[in-house]
Amino acid sequence: MDTTQLLKGVLDLAVLAVLKDEDGYGYDILRRLRTAGLEEVGDASVYGTLRRLFQAGLLTTYVVPSEEGPHRKYYGLNAAGRDQLQRAGKTWRTFASTMDGLLDERGVAA
Amino acid sequence: MNVTNEQEEYLEAVRRALADLDPTSRGELLEDLPEHLAEVAAEGEGTLVERLGPPEAYAAELRTAAGVGVATAKWSGRFDDRVAAGFRSVRGSLGVADRKVGPVIGYSRFSEFLRLLRPAWWLLRGYLVAMAITVLAGNSQPGLLPRLGGSTLAATLLLAVCLLASIWLGRREPKLPPLARSGLALGGVFLVLFGMVGFDKADNYGGGFSDQPQTISNNPYEFVQDIYAYDENGKPLTNVYLFDQDGNPIRIGDPYRCQESYEFYERAVPDVAVGYPYCPNQQPYQVAPRPGQVRPPDGQLGGPEPTDSAPQPTTTPEPTTTPGPTTTPTPTPTATN
Repeated sequence: MDTTQLLKGVLDLAVLAVLKDEDGYGYDILRRLRTAGLEEVGDASVYGTLRRLFQAGLLTTYVVPSEEGPHRKYYGLNAAGRDQLQRAGKTWRTFASTMDGLLDERGVAA
Repeated sequence: MNVTNEQEEYLEAVRRALADLDPTSRGELLEDLPEHLAEVAAEGEGTLVERLGPPEAYAAELRTAAGVGVATAKWSGRFDDRVAAGFRSVRGSLGVADRKVGPVIGYSRFSEFLRLLRPAWWLLRGYLVAMAITVLAGNSQPGLLPRLGGSTLAATLLLAVCLLASIWLGRREPKLPPLARSGLALGGVFLVLFGMVGFDKADNYGGGFSDQPQTISNNPYEFVQDIYAYDENGKPLTNVYLFDQDGNPIRIGDPYRCQESYEFYERAVPDVAVGYPYCPNQQPYQVAPRPGQVRPPDGQLGGPEPTDSAPQPTTTPEPTTTPGPTTTPTPTPTATN
């Protein structure tokens, strides 16, 4: 199955998750996602997602001047964002374990 | 291409692809892009298009992920944009192929390997130029050396000059104006085509070597071992000497093939003095057989074996028994029709 198709559904959650402990700027967030194993995530998808989560009121942003290179726009979770992370995380875990169970019963190899 | 220009170009293309959005949404979507492009460029791995895909695709992905309206037409831009997008997508696929093929041959990129081959191309180019000069100078069947006027020295000199010139040019190529570089590239394409035609021809010549024995075997005298000369009356001549137009003796066949005449040849050394036929005893036309007439044994015909002094008896074709100088007074029955 094409991972990019799956990513579309869970990218919001993934972005919220990598911002849970530490704020980050776009490129940094992208790197965290890739380091975490989501290597196929598209640059534009991440930025688009950040934009949408911000629009939805789940993120705060602030600009940090940088000595070398352009200023960086940092994103962080606000209260609504953390709340959303908890809920979406639960949904995902339920969904994932349901899928696991479904596949286990039928002996589909992991 | 200037790095900053590349980023600006990419940014501008993404902006154009989002042109249908209201300025506020577009501005928000594009807000992080300059920074991101700078970061990606700073990684220094491949062009932006290779790394991020075509700007149109980037814009579409950005649009989808951000959940703003999807453009009605996929290619909403001007014709120029579409051409540019096509060009970029080709360049993008080439870049992907570049990275994929490279590891197969042990390089991180295929283009890296090709770059190593550049001096080899300069040498090949010099050689091809020398060959092209030879062909232009009128040598329609060039071999593998650029022979001018058939001189090996001239060929070597020409080759050396062309090789050096090509290397010199190759080392200066990056500093040439774009137009001159395009000209060089075009010339290179022509040279490669020329070279392919030339190698194909040379290959055919090469294959011709194996055909050459057959060509020689077209000589109808190859299997001639002896020559028998007759005068107008059918009398065999012996000790005939043949010469070509320059007075050189014509020696065909094998003088030593006759056991009987071995002695004769002992005598005849030096072999210039050897006359045809080598084997007077083996005349092909001792008797012209006629229909209805049983060929009599040789003994009855001419009696003794023919020698130098004893002309071969023949049946003369004349119905009247005119005693020509060749007819011998043998009791041979003359031909009666």
